[in-house]
Order: sequence, then structure tokens, then C-alpha cells
Amino acid sequence: MLVPRPVLERIALHQTRLHTPGLGLDAKGVAIGAKGLVLLPSIDRLVALLAVYTRERSLEDLMPSLAMRVVKSKLGTREITLEFAAESSDRMDRLAETARLVGGFTFTGTARHFVQYRDAGAPFGYDATELLATDAALALYHDRFSQTYDVERTIELRPLVLRLMPHVDPATKLEPGMRIVVAEQGLGPALVHYFVRSRVDGEVGVAEWPPESAFDEAPVRRWIFRIPELPDRMRALIHGTPGITAFVPAGPGVAVEAGHRHPVELRACPIFDAAGMVLVRGRGQEPWTLPRLPPMGALTAFARVEMRTTGAESSTASGTAQPEVVRVPLRVSPSTAPWKNVTATWVEPAQVPLLRRLAYALPHATIAQARVAMTTRGAFVRCSAGIEAIPLGTFYVEIHPNLYVPAGHEVTPAVAPEVLARALGAPASQVLFLGTDARALAVEEAAFAPLETALLEAPPWEPLVADAIERGLEEAVLDLKVTPIGLLPLRGVDPPPKMEA
Amino acid sequence: MAVDLGVVAQALFEGVMAPLILGGPVRPGHAIGARVALTLGDGERTGIDPDLDVDVQRARVRRARRLAPIDTLATATPAEWTLAAAFHDLLMAANPTFDAALRRSAAVRILGLAREAIERVPEPANVLEALSRHTWFARVLDVARTDTTVSWWTGSRTYLGVEAPRRLRAWPELRRVNVVATPHPLLELGPLAVDRARLTDAVARLLTRTPLTELATCTREAPPFVWGEATLALVATRPGRTLALRALARLPSGEVDAALGRATRELLATRQASGAPAVTLLAERAVAKAEGHIARAEEASASRPDAAFARGLGAVAAVLLLEAPGAAWTEDDRRRLLVALDPAARSPAALEATAMLGAPA
Repeated sequence: MLVPRPVLERIALHQTRLHTPGLGLDAKGVAIGAKGLVLLPSIDRLVALLAVYTRERSLEDLMPSLAMRVVKSKLGTREITLEFAAESSDRMDRLAETARLVGGFTFTGTARHFVQYRDAGAPFGYDATELLATDAALALYHDRFSQTYDVERTIELRPLVLRLMPHVDPATKLEPGMRIVVAEQGLGPALVHYFVRSRVDGEVGVAEWPPESAFDEAPVRRWIFRIPELPDRMRALIHGTPGITAFVPAGPGVAVEAGHRHPVELRACPIFDAAGMVLVRGRGQEPWTLPRLPPMGALTAFARVEMRTTGAESSTASGTAQPEVVRVPLRVSPSTAPWKNVTATWVEPAQVPLLRRLAYALPHATIAQARVAMTTRGAFVRCSAGIEAIPLGTFYVEIHPNLYVPAGHEVTPAVAPEVLARALGAPASQVLFLGTDARALAVEEAAFAPLETALLEAPPWEPLVADAIERGLEEAVLDLKVTPIGLLPLRGVDPPPKMEA
Repeated sequence: MAVDLGVVAQALFEGVMAPLILGGPVRPGHAIGARVALTLGDGERTGIDPDLDVDVQRARVRRARRLAPIDTLATATPAEWTLAAAFHDLLMAANPTFDAALRRSAAVRILGLAREAIERVPEPANVLEALSRHTWFARVLDVARTDTTVSWWTGSRTYLGVEAPRRLRAWPELRRVNVVATPHPLLELGPLAVDRARLTDAVARLLTRTPLTELATCTREAPPFVWGEATLALVATRPGRTLALRALARLPSGEVDAALGRATRELLATRQASGAPAVTLLAERAVAKAEGHIARAEEASASRPDAAFARGLGAVAAVLLLEAPGAAWTEDDRRRLLVALDPAARSPAALEATAMLGAPA
């Protein structure tokens, strides 16, 4: 039988006298008791409240004082109450908003009497002007009703959370990160070897559960894998193989089966022991709980070990020797690759005079940078800025310091230039030019002189011509010497024969 | 006593002919004489150092290339051997050792025979022979003897054509030694056992046998240049005139004008009928000057009468050349050259030259 609605008066500003026992005013002037209470019509609304609240906040602050009960009124209706320490109007406001969202009512009080918490109509809260005379455990005063309740039973949070079935969410299978893989007894070893063979890092342990039925004597053994990074190619196998269940960690000490999502944010529920593991399964199956994680070892430690049963224990080498040298003929073959780093040219002896004439037409910058070495095989000209300004001879590309190959050619086998240089075995003071016949010409580094200097030194170019010109142009003085006339200076000095008429 | 021509030729070649080409000491040996000189060129002369021969030939070609684009020259012809032998005797006649009693006559005879040998050598028959002879004797007038005077604290002594003994040059600071070396050209040598005029005349006769050399040395002081039959014959030909102009272009312009003017004036005064080649040479030289191919004469030499005469005569003759029908110049060039030649053609010297030529002014 409904009691006529008592009068709830709105608490006015600076009002100090309150009728509800245990109700006081906080610093803001808001009527608040020692406790807060949320009245919810059903378990679903309780779960909804927890889900909404844990989305943004952890229950850690509420846990010490949190109490969830099923209460029953005199009319026989059952409802859910969530009781907690009020602490402050801020906490009360948060919970009141959440309760309002899920269809609950928020009250505040201290012992048995709880008045409606403030709302938009009463910013400072409410006060009950007349209390109900009852022995019930709870008396709730609302502006629309007043009701007394007796506690029927208590609801524990952990059992509630564990009894909640996860929703199906296939997207959780694609989330990166750690995976807890549980394999049945028969699949464990095979999965170990599979991971080892696939070079997947991880740890493995074995846990036991009590027999599932009275007909079973042996405990149920399952292999627990902790895989930090499960390769994508394995997800389908792990998720789709019967007997293998993958769990996605949802918080310290708890994991949810991949493909499912728990309605409550488990990370915000400090009800799981981090030293253990609760594996929440989907499809209505009860969670697997590990009070303590089993000892885990590296997967590689559990690789299959096979013993060789036949043959000697070992075959000992009777001797050692240097391996035979494998010789491959070096070839220099044409290449279609674009020319790069063309910095040298080999001018054959017949073209050296042309080089000398061309040199006088070169710009100063080219002459200053070019270096030339005159040999019996011709002139070798090097220019680090590029040799294109001297269009003579055979161009060379520097593939390695002091190692040149003809431009437009490549060396086969295609060894690295360092290997080729090492194989040629030339001293560092030698500059090597590989010809198209794969024969190398070595020129001393010291033989290269600046082209500018070489041009000014005429003798190395055409010594004979310079010498002949010098001799030809000079005219020595004619110096008449006085020679002895002898005792008979007219001896043999005869007149010319007479001319015939 | 028979004379070994090979030995004589070898000594002549090494002592005189090679130095005339290559330079260095000229060492005339025993006098050769006209008879031997005229036979030296007969047959092939062996015994001559082949390396020296090659050098001499190469130097001759270089000298020839100053005037003409030529690659090879024949070895010495008989006439060139004779002329070389005569020049050798000429140098020997100038030996100061002959300047002593009872020896002067020997020098006179040697010089006389050298002149006779020269007279027996014909003039060059063609321009190539003239060029060849020029390569041998282009430097005959450059021969000079170095006389060294050594003075020391107690006296002095002069050494003619020989090096002073080392003992006289010892301790130069202590003995206050002073050495003075003075070169004397051939025609200024002394003492001479022969008459200097006869020596000069002998050189002049030698030059007549190498007309290109005579023209190439026309600015000499002695013997003075005169137009001879050989030189006139040389410049009478187109190639010869070309070589002559090139040789003259290597000499100072003013001095060339003076020498040619004096010689041409004398030629026209005595043998006007033979003067055409000389006049033509002067005319072409005037045209070359007007075209800028020859440098202008210096102010000092330009005022000399002989030089003015040569320029005037050349200008007048050049004008006649330019105005002659069938001239090789274009109308513009001809007009330009006439304008350039007009001042010289109207000079008093030109009038004198015109009068001498008998041409209308």
C-alpha cells in the first residue's frame, strides 16, 4: 500500500536546519549524506550503469565502499541498489548523471533514510520534512514516491562481471598486441612445434583444471601460450581451430576471448589479481580462471627433441686443409647501363699529338683539374670533375678508388668493386685501367702530373723537334782563327790552267 | 807533288764551309790555289764527316726557307767548291802572319790566285743555283777575327785570332790583368800583308758569283753594292725578283733604299739600257711599301738623297706599272695604290729619276 507522498522540501540557499538524519551540507551548500545510493530497476540497468561509468572512470575509488544489493519492497517488487560512500558532491553528481542516463534514481543519506539527491529543480538538494516510521532496511524519499525496502541479497561485483556474457565483436580479432592462446591437451605440443618452426617468440606453460565431470579422473590440462606478436598469417588458424582459444588481454589479470567484447570495461574494474589470469570466454561458457599463472618457459625450450638412434656418436675429421681456389675468368662485357662517373680517358700514342693540340683549346678549369701520365702505351688523363671536355681516347669509369673500367662496360662476374680490387692485388700506389680484354694496365699514382704542368714542359712531348728548332735558329758567331801558314805557304798553290781559245 | 783532293776537300769543308753554315771557329788551312780549287768539285768527295754533312745540309735548307719554300738542296756543286776554296784562300791571304818580310808576296799571290779562281766560276744559271750558292755564302761578310789584348801590370800584348796564353791571364787581381777581346770584320782586319782594296775587291768579285747574297747584303759598307750582270739577271726573272724582295725585306728599309738608290743612279748613269730590272725591282718594292708589306723607313735614313732617289724612282715606275694595261690589280686597289704613291712620285727625286729614265713627267 502506497504511503501518501511525504513532503520533500527543496533546500534553500544558506539553509542550515535539515530534518533528514545524517544529511548535511557540504562546502557548496549541497545536501549530502555519508552515503550515496542509486536505485535501479533491474540487473540490466546495473550492468548498464557499470558499463557507462567504467568507460570514463575506474571503479577503484568506489570499490572500498561499493555495495550492490537486491532489495525488496513491501509490495514484493525487487530492485537493485548500488550503495557507495558519497565523499563529495562531485562524485555524487557523476553517479547521478550516469544513473539518470540508465534510468536510475540517486539518493543520499547516512543510515536508513535516503533523500533524493539534488537535481535541476533543487540545486542544493532535498530534505524530508517527515520521516517514515518503519523498521525497513532502507527508506527512500523521492519527490514522486517514498518507499521502504528490505535487503534480499547482496550482489558481488566480481561474480557479476564474470557472469556477464561478452558481446560478439569480430574486430577484436584484428587488434594488435599480446595474445593469450589456450590449447587443449592434445594440441599443445603441436602448437608449440608450430610456433617454434615458424620462429614465433613467446612463452608457454601448462595449467590444470578440475575434471569437468565425475566420470573424469584426470584433471583437464591445457597449454597456456603468451605470444607478444602473433603473425597475421596465423590469426585465422588460431581463431578457427577447435581446441585453440585466443584471448585478448582486457586488463591486468583478465583477458577476453578474441572476437568478443565484455560489456564492462574490465580495465576499470580492479577486481582481478594481476598475478593470476581470468580468461573470459564467449558463447555462454564460463571463464577460465587461473589463480596464479603457471611457470612459463620460452617456446624454443619446448622444441621437439629427437635422438638419433643409428650411426656413430660423431664423425671426427681426420685432417684440415685450405679450400681450393675457385677461379672464374674475368670478363669485361658491354653494358646498357647509363654512364656515370666518367673521369678518365686513355689516349693511345697515335692520338697524343692531337691531345697536345686539343689541350691548348681547353678551358683553364679543365686543365687545372686534369692530371696526365705519359707512358709507352699512351697518355692517361684523369679529371675528377668529368673527362667529357677531352673527347679523345677511351673513356673510363672509376668503380673503385684507383680502379677504372671502360665506360659502357661492366665486369663479369658481377663482384663488388672492392672484391675486384682485392682480386687484382695491385698496390695502393698503382692506378689500374681494365681494358675490354680484361687485362689491366697499372700506372703509378706518382706518374700523374697536373696537365697544366705537362703542357708547359715541352721536352716530354716532342723533345727532338724542340732541340732541332733551337739548333736551327741559333747562329753562332763566325770566329776567324789565325792558323799557321807553314814554312812553304805557296806549296801546291798553282794558278788555274790556261783556258783554251 | 800530287795533292790529295780528298784531304784538301775535307779540310776545306770542316775548316771553312761548315763554319760558314753552322757558325763557330773558321780555320783556314794551307792555301789551296786556283788549280786545285777548280778541280775540287770534280767527282764525289768522300771522307767528309757524315754527321757534319747532315747538319750542314739541314742548316742550308733552313736558310733557304727564309726566302723560298724548299725542302731539299743538292750538295755542293763544283762551282760552290771552287768559290769556297777561293774564299778560303782569301781568308788565308788576310792572315797577319804574312805581314812580315819575305812573306808578303806570298799573301799577294794567294789572293791573286783566289781572284782568278773566282773569275773562272760562272754566274748562276738559274734561280735555284743562285739560292743554293746563297745558302753557302750568306755569311761571308760576318766573318770576324777576335783580337785579344791582354794588359798586365808590366805590359800588354795583343793576340790576333788566337787565345791568349793562360799564363798571361793568371792571377788577374794580383797582376792587374785586363783582357779585351775585339772582333774585327773581314774587311777591317789588320795588319794585312795585302792591299786592303784588293782584298775588298776580291770579296766583291766573290759576291758577284752569288748575286742573291749580294742583294741580301746590299746595305754593307764595303764593298759597296753595285748592280752587276748577275744581280740584274737575277732580278730580271720573276722568281729571282721575288727572292730578292724577300731578302731585302729582312734588312732596314732606309738603308736598303739608300744602297739601291746609289747603285741604281750609277747604273742609269752608265748603263741605262741594262737598268730595267733594277727599276722594276724598285717599282715592286714601292708597291709593297704602299701596300704595307714593307716597313716605312726611319726619318733619318729617309732624308738621304740616295734613298729618296730610290723611293722616287720606284714610285714613278710603280705608277707606270699600275697604269699599264692589263695590270693585275683591281680598280680599287690600283686607285688606292696610286694615291699612296703620289707623294713619292711627285718628289724632286722622282723628277730626277724621270729625267734619267727619259720618260715624260
